[in-house]
Amino acid sequence: MKRGDLVLISVVLVAALIFLVPRWVEGNNGNDSEKNHKSPLVATITVDGQVYKTVELTKEEQIIEIKTDHGVNVLKVHDYGIEMMEADCPDQVCLSFGFIDKHNQSIVCLPNKVLVELEGSTGGENQDEVDAIVN
Amino acid sequence: MKSTPLSTSESALLLKRTVIISIFAAVAVVLSIVESLIPVNMSVPGAKLGLANIMVLTCLYFLRGRDALTLIVLKTVLTAMIFGTFSSFLFSLFGAVFSFVVMYGLLKISGKRLSLIGISIAGGVAHNIGQLTAASIIFKTSSIFYYLPALLLTGIVTGILVGIAVKYLVSSLSKLSLFAGFTD
Repeated sequence: MKRGDLVLISVVLVAALIFLVPRWVEGNNGNDSEKNHKSPLVATITVDGQVYKTVELTKEEQIIEIKTDHGVNVLKVHDYGIEMMEADCPDQVCLSFGFIDKHNQSIVCLPNKVLVELEGSTGGENQDEVDAIVN
Repeated sequence: MKSTPLSTSESALLLKRTVIISIFAAVAVVLSIVESLIPVNMSVPGAKLGLANIMVLTCLYFLRGRDALTLIVLKTVLTAMIFGTFSSFLFSLFGAVFSFVVMYGLLKISGKRLSLIGISIAGGVAHNIGQLTAASIIFKTSSIFYYLPALLLTGIVTGILVGIAVKYLVSSLSKLSLFAGFTD
């Protein structure tokens, strides 16, 4: 390894940290209030750019089956989070996203064009007003 | 265009290049298959070992940029055919080409300041950025970049491993007579 390599590694590390540090800070501050409020997140499921369904992430289990021309995906909501359970896509990358339960996290199934995004009311009550917008 | 007959040494060089590219492409495809068989759960979605990058970087080392580009296109088409993942074909190509551009550029610009390990890290990280960008264009959302930092970190680790592999491969291949004309 040369010095240039170490410089490159440090640059990439710093870039990663720039993204990660605000998230940790936010996570630590947000965690307490989030647990107190228990404001559930909302998962927006889009297929090929079209909104397929929006679900509130509840503690109770919900199974969501997405059947489209692109393929079949099975999502499971539980414990205020969501997880991809099954997919008939060839690469199975979407299953590796695992269980997600945090704001801004997402699950992508590229071959089946399925996107699951978590949005929620972590910012407080103001965000509720956005719900009124209809396309 | 008038076709001027190639001299013996020129055609020999052309033949050697073609042979090397096809062997490398075949090995790259095999490495992709091997990689898909290894159940590595790095708990980072989309993270891969990037074993095929060993061949791309080795090709860049011995041959010209356009040869490595040929290798990448061959490899991507062949893996898409074998795995039947044509839906993500453009997506893989985008990542691979972006990674190639970065590695090629760094090889030219950096001179001798970066070793093969550094180039391979840059290539791995560029591959991840390229794929995320392609995905965010396809889905018209930037939320996928949530996974960028984790992919940057895994990119460093896999980049180092791939770089070490390339180092050993280059030094062994340099001893073969097929590569005699290409080492410098």
